[in-house]
Amino acid sequence: MKRLLVVDDEPHVARVLRVSLAKEGWAIEVAHNGTEALALIAANPPDVMITDIQMPGMGGEELCRKLHASMPDRPFPILVMTSMTALDQRNWARELGDIEFLEKPVSPRRVAATLTQLLERKNNDG
Amino acid sequence: MADMQTDEVARYGRWLKRSVGTAFRIGVGSAAGELLWADGNDAAPLASALATCIALPHDGSEGMRRQEADNATAYTCPIKLPAGAGDGWLLALPDRETPPTGIELNDLAETMADVATTLADGSRLNTEMDVLAAELAERYEELHLFYDIDRHLAKRDLGTEVLQDLLRTCAEQLNADVACFVRPAENITVSATNLSKPIHNLDLVLVEMRGDLFRFVSSSRSSVVINGMDDSRRAYIFTDMPYKVLACPVFQGLDMPAMLTLLNHADKPDFSNSDRRLGEVMAHQIANVMHMGEMFAQMRRFTEQMAAALIEAVEAKDPYTRGHSERVHLFSLRLGQALRLRNEELENLHWGSLLHDVGKIGIPDAVLCKPGRLTADEFTFIKVHPERSYEILRHVDRLKGAIDGARHHQEKFDGSGYPHGLRGNDIPLLARIIAVADTYDSITSSRAYRAGSTHEAAVKEMQRVRGTQLDPELLDIFLGLCEDDPALLAKLGIRRETGDL
Repeated sequence: MKRLLVVDDEPHVARVLRVSLAKEGWAIEVAHNGTEALALIAANPPDVMITDIQMPGMGGEELCRKLHASMPDRPFPILVMTSMTALDQRNWARELGDIEFLEKPVSPRRVAATLTQLLERKNNDG
Repeated sequence: MADMQTDEVARYGRWLKRSVGTAFRIGVGSAAGELLWADGNDAAPLASALATCIALPHDGSEGMRRQEADNATAYTCPIKLPAGAGDGWLLALPDRETPPTGIELNDLAETMADVATTLADGSRLNTEMDVLAAELAERYEELHLFYDIDRHLAKRDLGTEVLQDLLRTCAEQLNADVACFVRPAENITVSATNLSKPIHNLDLVLVEMRGDLFRFVSSSRSSVVINGMDDSRRAYIFTDMPYKVLACPVFQGLDMPAMLTLLNHADKPDFSNSDRRLGEVMAHQIANVMHMGEMFAQMRRFTEQMAAALIEAVEAKDPYTRGHSERVHLFSLRLGQALRLRNEELENLHWGSLLHDVGKIGIPDAVLCKPGRLTADEFTFIKVHPERSYEILRHVDRLKGAIDGARHHQEKFDGSGYPHGLRGNDIPLLARIIAVADTYDSITSSRAYRAGSTHEAAVKEMQRVRGTQLDPELLDIFLGLCEDDPALLAKLGIRRETGDL
């Protein structure tokens, strides 16, 4: 089963994704902030990670920076959820590179399509 | 217990275990016979007790029961989950030599009943939350669709392009292979694809839609969903087209002039109710776009016709200038495009060049059509015409950006022109463009007092006033354009000295 790590302090996002992605064969794991996410990734890296930006404790930006520093060959793609309108949030992620975006509130169809694309790209790359 | 998460089941299992102490071993199993949680290392006795429990007949009663099999005693208590989610079982095996006392069994029965109820409640809540989450997910889809539509509509003029964008959005959002807008009466078919695999005869498929499928949707006046390949309707609509179909009517008032159709290959998931709702939202938005587009076109047509009427009024005064405005307009736009003006500026150039001579309405016929040289007094009449153009056009809000082009097209680059004697780059760019186009057409077209000159003569004359009358850079670009496109000159009937064109 493909594993998706959802990092968000609001539980409904993970729930919406779990309900809608289960049909497509995805298992969802949840972390409520960056610290929890790092622990879960250290134990068992997921196939894809989706993260929010604003979270209590370690937020999404710090989490991505830490991952970039500690895992230069990060084996899984990252999707960052940004608000539909605040496009300027994306600048730091562009600098880091290799990060895709999702508009919040997330559209499960779009997430499903993006996940499929990402995995295909990963498989094509080797 | 499809709706129980494993970690929650474990929590209930541990709770039960803590309450009964060392007298029993505890397990939690699903109705399908899967042991979801077991205390201790050796799960085999619990698994076999679960298998026995499931094999026994059940009367549906609640509470703890005792079962005997293979010389092993076990106590079981059903977990009653909401219909459809499947039941589960709590299991307890005596875990010491001496049999449990009556008090211990009473305690066990009570605790098992409590845990079973709480577990079922938790599970029910979980299921309800999932239903809500699924509902929420669909609302999110609608929100995204609306947001996308809004973004497309905000971006630019209305037309086929917007429709194409909307269809692409629709195909992507609904993960459909083809999204298509059909308006048979106007012979319009616009489509966007998001193919999961190729459709070889797409054109044929699109043509086919205009027939029976459109008539069927039109007569039912509601959305039509055909998923199954064995659907009986396929005998008479969309025959031999092995696609899943979602077709939504596009209403205008009570009429249904058009339809939105989504197609999927047979191996894609069925079109759902939620797809149908989103399709209808989309169809509704397309109806709005069509309506706005038609109003826009109507307004545009009205404006063009008013402009044509104005031009006609000018040209009626002097038959020899017939077509002059149109040609100056054509040359000006060519030059504007070569300069890569922004769309808004091109629009201003469009109106400014078409209407640049409107002020000539105020010039007496005797002056305007006089063959030969004008007297100084007569020339004064001529010189006011750009200012007249300004006075006429300033009443029209939409032409605000275009007025300067008309007002200053008789200024000269060295400052010796009229009406304001502006010089060089102080002359608005649009006016400098129109001046080049105007000069060229004045030389090459026939007038009351002379026949039109050849292209080569015009080039020579314009080179002579390069930098004094005309903007030198614009002139160079314009002459370059003429070189590149001799066919245009031929089409406009401009004579050439070489004679072979």
